[in-house]
Amino acid sequence: MTMNIGGSVEKKDHAQKMSGKALYVGDYPLEGVLYGKLLHSSKARARIAEIRLPEIPEGYFVVDKNDVPGDNNVNIVKDDTPVFARETVEYIGDPILMVVGPDEAETERLLKAIEVVYEELPAVLNVRDFDTVFFEYDFGKGDIEKAFAEADKVYTEQFETGYQEQAYLETQGMIGEPQPDKMTVHGSMQCPYYVKGAVVRAMGSSPEGVQIKQDTTGGGFGGKEAFPSILACQVAVAAKKAGKPVRVIFDRREDMEFTSKRHPSLCTYKVAVKDGKITAMDIDVIFNGGAYTTLSAVVLQRGIICSSGVYKVDNLRVKGRAVKTNLVPSGAYRGFGAPQTFFAVEMIMDHIAFDLGLDPMQFKLDNAVKQGDATSTSGIYHFPVPLPEMVEKIDAASGYREKRLEYAIAQTGRYRRGVGSSMFFHGAGFTGSGERDHIKAVSKLHKYPDGSVEILVSNSDIGQGLKTTFSKIVAHELNLPYEKIIIENPDTDRVPDSGPTVASRSLMTVGELLRRAAIKLRESWVDGEDQIVEERFKEPDFLIPFYIDKFQGDAYPTYAWGVNVIEVEVDTLTGVSKILGAWGCFDVGTPVDLNVVLGQMEGGYLQGIGYASIEQMAADEKGRIRNNSFSDYIIPTSMDVPKLEVIMHVEKYPDGPYGAKGAGELPLVGAPGAYIGAMEQALRKPINKAPFSMDDTMKVLQGVKL
Amino acid sequence: MNSIDFVLNGKEVKFTGNPAARLLDVLRDDFRLTGVKCGCKEGECGACSVIIDGLLVNSCMVAMGSINGSTITTIEGYCETARYAVLDKAFASVSAVQCGYCIPGMVLAAECVLAKTPHPTEDEIRVGISGNLCRCTGYNAIVNAISIAAKEGNGLW
Amino acid sequence: MVEYYQPTSLQEALKIRSENKVTPYAGGTDLMIEADENLCYLFLNKVCEMRGIYEDAEYIRIGAACTYEKILQSELVPQILKDAVSQIAAPAIRNLGTMGGNIGNGSAKADSALVCFALDAKLQLSSVSGSRLVDIDKFYLGRKKLDMAENELITEILIPKADFGRYSYFKVGARNALAISRVSFAGVLSLKDGRISNIACAFGAVADTVLRFKDLEKMFLGKTLAEASAIKQDFVSAYSQSIVPIRGRVSMEYRKAVCMNLLNEFLSQSDI
Repeated sequence: MTMNIGGSVEKKDHAQKMSGKALYVGDYPLEGVLYGKLLHSSKARARIAEIRLPEIPEGYFVVDKNDVPGDNNVNIVKDDTPVFARETVEYIGDPILMVVGPDEAETERLLKAIEVVYEELPAVLNVRDFDTVFFEYDFGKGDIEKAFAEADKVYTEQFETGYQEQAYLETQGMIGEPQPDKMTVHGSMQCPYYVKGAVVRAMGSSPEGVQIKQDTTGGGFGGKEAFPSILACQVAVAAKKAGKPVRVIFDRREDMEFTSKRHPSLCTYKVAVKDGKITAMDIDVIFNGGAYTTLSAVVLQRGIICSSGVYKVDNLRVKGRAVKTNLVPSGAYRGFGAPQTFFAVEMIMDHIAFDLGLDPMQFKLDNAVKQGDATSTSGIYHFPVPLPEMVEKIDAASGYREKRLEYAIAQTGRYRRGVGSSMFFHGAGFTGSGERDHIKAVSKLHKYPDGSVEILVSNSDIGQGLKTTFSKIVAHELNLPYEKIIIENPDTDRVPDSGPTVASRSLMTVGELLRRAAIKLRESWVDGEDQIVEERFKEPDFLIPFYIDKFQGDAYPTYAWGVNVIEVEVDTLTGVSKILGAWGCFDVGTPVDLNVVLGQMEGGYLQGIGYASIEQMAADEKGRIRNNSFSDYIIPTSMDVPKLEVIMHVEKYPDGPYGAKGAGELPLVGAPGAYIGAMEQALRKPINKAPFSMDDTMKVLQGVKL
Repeated sequence: MNSIDFVLNGKEVKFTGNPAARLLDVLRDDFRLTGVKCGCKEGECGACSVIIDGLLVNSCMVAMGSINGSTITTIEGYCETARYAVLDKAFASVSAVQCGYCIPGMVLAAECVLAKTPHPTEDEIRVGISGNLCRCTGYNAIVNAISIAAKEGNGLW
Repeated sequence: MVEYYQPTSLQEALKIRSENKVTPYAGGTDLMIEADENLCYLFLNKVCEMRGIYEDAEYIRIGAACTYEKILQSELVPQILKDAVSQIAAPAIRNLGTMGGNIGNGSAKADSALVCFALDAKLQLSSVSGSRLVDIDKFYLGRKKLDMAENELITEILIPKADFGRYSYFKVGARNALAISRVSFAGVLSLKDGRISNIACAFGAVADTVLRFKDLEKMFLGKTLAEASAIKQDFVSAYSQSIVPIRGRVSMEYRKAVCMNLLNEFLSQSDI
């Protein structure tokens, strides 16, 4: 069959996963594999004075920092994350050592018998009390003082967002398998070459001495971008010491409490308005980075670049800081810093519109950027900005304008309704010049004599459908049946480094490399021969070069766009809110596979709704995260939302395959703004935080100041 | 009593280990039925769902001793059935499978929805799968797939 | 193989219970969260006498090992109890979980226990030496403390056969399925010859045990709806003084506010 780009096919991994035959890391046979259990710090900050070990039986091992053959620093962006804790522990959960052994119960018994003597040190547990700034960036444009001086009105507000846990259904897990000539690590991950870089460094080995293989991965959402590098180093070190395979599979509580999650944020906005238009924004963004830097620098960069939203702001000043606290390191989660700042900017736009007596959606549209306008970093929106068309589509589907007017009239009775909206984008791919300067993606196609073609890339299918969309692209260009395309889970011994599976880059960037590779193969095709073609990343030539030191230039080549409308009903007796409808209009360019794109939009949207509403997570006064199980960290079930209404809009991107842009992260970004906007209308009070709980709602209903 | 005898995916089997062990662990470790997934071990996610005597249960919430004399179906047994074939096609047609981790449990939940209500409403489907968390799909595609299966599998349930 | 017991008759179960150190296991949905592999379970899921639902002259009798799903399917069970049970967890848990286990676990968050309080249910406790009936509110002695001897089992839950009149059950959970109650309320009110003959207002998940204040209910007993309405404010403020919530997944203030709102709503719906 000819591949119909835009239509849908059976996903490449459907049959294996549907039938339960797909092997996740926890599904491998246990014979000869040792169990590894981590000892996590129970103090937020302390010097380790002494570790008292019980008698360790034959065949059991205790593995710590002294066993790391190479460098005890995990290779992430900076060097501060240890493989095993150094002299101090910096958060509750910091991995101190690992007990390894053949019997799981005995391994756990030994772990529990270990006594750690801590000398406690002062800890920073509230982001407002920070004393260490990990990263600080400033940028801006125009004349901000002048704009504020000339403004009709100036608005200043602070917004706060909480943690969000990825809550992938499969917890973190990794197996280290020592081979005669190398260390093989396989498990649940998004970025095999990130893991490889980390293990090479920790093992002090050559690149050839480390092999990383992705197993079928039960969801990532960013949570398996950096964390697997840490766990892989730990199992590799343990496997080396034990001389046997070692597996660590986190239990749910361990995973929720001790692995990275979305950065909590504190954003202060000062906005100038003149003649009904936004003329300036002065923005201060603080992200709670937790105890180690991990990915905070890059998360913050995206967050602050997005902080002025979809709006044309000629006079802009942005300051962003990622600060240290003695809490679990924050990290990547779908949206990567943007959901926090988009929430803040959407809320202040709502509040300004309310103050001016304008409909927020119209006010936002009147202030939105258009093709050719400057971005926050003085780059250019090179391509059409389809927000006006998308607003019309979503209004037609949701009845937003009519409902907004209807619910504005004072409501009485037990149930009160509200409808809110948001507009947002996702800058597609890596921020700035990362793709050109750091990743330098390479992809390969291997054609076998029988005419089948194997895709060789390091991007992992973690559920988002890459195996399917990549195969469709290659099949389409080669006029081959979809079934003739082979794509396996990446193995660094077999695939080139086409970069990590992050930043909504895989399809747009690597998919395009594969398209070009397929064209090359088509043109050089010789029946019956074994052929390999390779394609390397080339930066599109229209880009204004981006300088990260100045935050100047095109931070992203193109943007995916979204408009959300959410309608809620609040029960004034209980503070419980019910979602009556959730509509999302999304432009991710050409869908390479419609079902795959719809699945991304619907799933991401629900994660965003959860983030804004029921997904509460916080550390207590000791720095411990208590919401560490599915009964305490509440994610939506099938009964918590009605059918999500997704409408696609297509604005093609010429440098993406068939016009495709980044898709995966976009649908999460706008949900908090729309949900909280709806809650505000129902409660007739401004809200400055997400998530907004039933407890918060009740306080508003009782007139208690939050 | 000195052994636990039950029918597993159509075969009579014996278990002589600890009767207080979790069915989930025994299915995965002793019987190597790794289609039964472990997501929480607290009855909160549904990834380990199996069918015992015709009813959906979380296998993490079941001690081995309680299943003596029972009949258990896991995804490994269910995927041999004609009903599975209908669900398989339906799930594929809307790409309802993303990361796949919730899917074996979800498929068995779908079977139990349809066994109870061959032509369920959307609400009935949502109630039927409400104990099976999915973080990927937003549930739309899964609910659609079960509706499609109900239509296509007319008479099978 | 470690010892375990799976009796099929009550007599057998009680004998095992009296002679061994065993943990009664009905549905397992609470016990298996911890899944202590050193426990010796007495499995009750095959004990015929504990799995049925039937009625006699005075009571609807629900076997303690009867699953929630069976309770939902029974025509004998009053609707208010079904309302509560239908909102417990999710289908897979309702296929295992039992009222006996829910009550025997001693948690103030037990949704079926709350309804038992409102309906003046009794528990049948049995041992080899005989049986006794305990009023549900007497069964809970404090946080996780129960009036149950080492050799006893909860064998049946007895719901009085009465016309419960107007009733209200309301559960506030963190979401619409798989939710532990944050506040729950069960109220019943019946009239005889125009006067309030029975009223019960019970609050769950608010304190260490279910809260029900029979003394306060007496304020309304024997009154007409008009008379009750006249003293409604006193009634409500008496509750406001009596309900002292504990902090948990939600604040004390939240719990208090919701309790009072649900009480007021129940009274309004009952034309008070």
